[in-house]
Amino acid sequence: MITAEKISSTEKLVSDFEAVKKMLPGNSFVQNIRQKAIEKFAELGIPTRKNEEYKYSNVQKLFQENFSQSAIDNSQFSIDKYLIPNLDAHFVVLVNGFFSEELSSLKNLDTTVVISSMQKAFEQHPELVEKHFSTCADINSDAFIALNTAYAADGVFINVPDNAAVEKPIHIINLVIAKESTLFFPRNLFVIGKNAQVQLLETFETHDLPVKAIATSVTEIAIDENAKVQYYRLQNDCENGQQINTVSASQQKNSHFDTNTVTLSGGWVRNNLNIALNGENCEAHLNGLFITSDTQHVDNHTLVDHRKPHCESNQTYKGILDGKSTGIFNGKIFVQRDAQKTNAYQSSKNILLSDDATINAKPQLEIYADDVKCSHGSSTGKIDEDALFYLRARGLGIESARKLLLYAFVNDVMQTIRINTLREYLETLIHKKLGE
Amino acid sequence: MAEQNDILEEHISSEYKYGFSSDIETETAPPGLSEDIVRFISAKKNEPQWMLDYRLKAYRHWQTMEEPRHWPLLKYPEIDFQNIIYYAAPKQKPELKDLSEVDPELLATFEKLGISLEEQKRLTGVQSNIAIDAVIDSVSVKTTFKEVLAEKGIIFCSFSEAVQEHPELIKKYMGSVVPYTDNFYAALNAAVFSDGSFCYIPKGVRCPMELSTYFRINTSGTGQFERTLIVADEGSYVSYLEGCTAPMRDENQLHAAVVEIVSHKNAEVKYSTVQNWYPGDKNGKGGIYNFVTKRGICLEENSKISWTQVETGSSITWKYPSVILKGDNSVGEFYSVAVTNNYQQADTGTKMTHIGKNTRSTIISKGISAGHSNNSYRGLVRINKGAKNARNFSQCDSLLMSDKCGAHTFPYIEIKDKTAIVEHEATTSKIGEDQIFYCKQRGIDTEKAIGLIVNGYCKEVFNQLPMEFAVEAQKLLAVSLEGSVG
Repeated sequence: MITAEKISSTEKLVSDFEAVKKMLPGNSFVQNIRQKAIEKFAELGIPTRKNEEYKYSNVQKLFQENFSQSAIDNSQFSIDKYLIPNLDAHFVVLVNGFFSEELSSLKNLDTTVVISSMQKAFEQHPELVEKHFSTCADINSDAFIALNTAYAADGVFINVPDNAAVEKPIHIINLVIAKESTLFFPRNLFVIGKNAQVQLLETFETHDLPVKAIATSVTEIAIDENAKVQYYRLQNDCENGQQINTVSASQQKNSHFDTNTVTLSGGWVRNNLNIALNGENCEAHLNGLFITSDTQHVDNHTLVDHRKPHCESNQTYKGILDGKSTGIFNGKIFVQRDAQKTNAYQSSKNILLSDDATINAKPQLEIYADDVKCSHGSSTGKIDEDALFYLRARGLGIESARKLLLYAFVNDVMQTIRINTLREYLETLIHKKLGE
Repeated sequence: MAEQNDILEEHISSEYKYGFSSDIETETAPPGLSEDIVRFISAKKNEPQWMLDYRLKAYRHWQTMEEPRHWPLLKYPEIDFQNIIYYAAPKQKPELKDLSEVDPELLATFEKLGISLEEQKRLTGVQSNIAIDAVIDSVSVKTTFKEVLAEKGIIFCSFSEAVQEHPELIKKYMGSVVPYTDNFYAALNAAVFSDGSFCYIPKGVRCPMELSTYFRINTSGTGQFERTLIVADEGSYVSYLEGCTAPMRDENQLHAAVVEIVSHKNAEVKYSTVQNWYPGDKNGKGGIYNFVTKRGICLEENSKISWTQVETGSSITWKYPSVILKGDNSVGEFYSVAVTNNYQQADTGTKMTHIGKNTRSTIISKGISAGHSNNSYRGLVRINKGAKNARNFSQCDSLLMSDKCGAHTFPYIEIKDKTAIVEHEATTSKIGEDQIFYCKQRGIDTEKAIGLIVNGYCKEVFNQLPMEFAVEAQKLLAVSLEGSVG
């Protein structure tokens, strides 16, 4: 599919939809949502930098290439190198956003827990899909949510029923394999029942990608009362890997949601993390870490929407930037009129290692209730000279002292990772990255 | 403290007290904006060709621009720019020799506002001297103490006078900090500005008195578009004050001003504003739309610009006094108290652009929202590549006084140099119940206790204001928050 103009414009994406919509999964309910979504996308269009939410991330430039739609890749390969050493987990593999039954391993999974492809879920669990699909991620809020909702072909569906606890973490491995520029739309839906507990881990890697690809993914997580969810994301794409992904979680009464987004490589990454606190006494912890080099572009957007009283949210994002890379932290705490007694905290700290690196931080508070405690802080600086001197005076070489301080800087984010083998694995990756 | 309480007491029952309008004969242009109106204003002021050309260029550029409606957190109906009178001036004889020739109604107006235009009174007064440029409906009517200042070589006059008498300075500096292409309102101002103040402090002179401009909107249906330009030459110092009031009207009046400050080597400019335009009534009807572009540039080494603002008035405030830190070792400061009550909306803050080496900036912003109002801090700290060892500290606190209002913080931090150290912190909270309880236990009633606590909260900013202004600011704060205790 090669056309003359090298762009994937809003118009083209809208007109292409007509051709593919018949092939997309889902019953008439879902098709209806898709239609609304593409209309919304046509209205919103690919955002320009005039859009405050995309002020620092030029997505227009990203789409100045002609992308073909994703296709299922059947090439045979071993996924061993994408597994995390010593991690005992159920794992599923997505190739270009399509669920791969052959590569996945779901042995000894509790029979009440459902892990399947979205395609299957559309057929086998229409009631759950209808209840939750497109409810956490609002198509009106962002053009890429709308685009993904329209085009979403596959992804992972997880349902942890009420009172169930999944013992082993569920590891979702996202792989990209493409020979020509590809645009794909993974869509995940996690439905976590009352009192349920689960640890989720997503890793993003590119298996074989000589050309540019963009993944515009959406993950919806519906968390019911008293549920406890941990959700870790590790992004480790090659430089051709580009992501615009949205995670939208909706929490009910007394639920806990811990999330951790670690970005180590990948050419262009935009992470939208939206959490809606829809019940009282919810707790949300958002942690993030990005260590960038070369020409990487990593943009972290968070939105915590406090809708009900007595909730607590806590955000810590840390960035270390080297080379000509750009890092962005744009966080917003939104406290609605009813959300009295809210405690919300947000912190963004960054270290620049190079004169060509850029950091843009925009920590925001938008508050409409008066009995709240909200604060945010942002600081950017270099490695503390005094601390460096202290270590050198004690016999450490400058390089190892530097590394030690950088490692200490990211440590509080690392400590929030509660799967030990994952943390150890990350530590080795970070050491490698900082050692370069 | 006793004094503060007196002030509170005095104002607790009062409403906006500058809401009267004066019956001064005025000359106005027909409403609407076109090239002809721009030519009309320029001709009225007897301006040279270059000035008219500048205005026309700005006007043509303005036509291509869009109103900034999406990014500020402000809601207001469409402004009909064709329904505004762009020129209104008190009718007066062309040249005033002394005060007796000034329209007595006008003198009475300023008297009512507590501003004396009679120099002698001031000279014998207890308070320190302040030279005032009084601007009514965008035309400067009287500048005091001109002669005393002239002895030192200080030029302090109306903008139109400066265009006539100091064209070389105006040509050199006007638009150098805020070009007409800068934004929608700056372009509009450049096209239709009617007057304002001009101030030049020569090399090595420390201005012996505070300079001040007093702005007053009087005529109905007019917009006020004044332009202030302050140039501090090498090693000079000036402290500049700005005050403003307007009559109470049901309509919304537009005020779009431009202030430019140029600070040369080792010079320091301190600019203080007490903004008290009519904020509208309890239901949000009427009030001034205050869309102002204020920017200073620290052009050379060791220069300093400091903005202090107390924003209590206007139904809508859209204002970001900024500093471009171009010279090495230059310093920018921004101290702000913004109070919103009833249905007022404020989107205000600052921009600090670090270009030179070892530049420093400090931002202290205190927002207080009450009633149904919305108060946002929006500020940019930008460290350019090559701005070695730049340092910024920002603190933005918000205080919520009711459960119907909103307080927001939108800082933008853009850093392109690894040696920069930038810190930002912000908190939002309400007045502590225990603080009020403590005061009440000691016999201070709730309203007074809140006054006391709020004044303490704003102290860091009030301390930056010149004496007279600090007192006025405290009074204003009390009036603005009156009735907000609920």
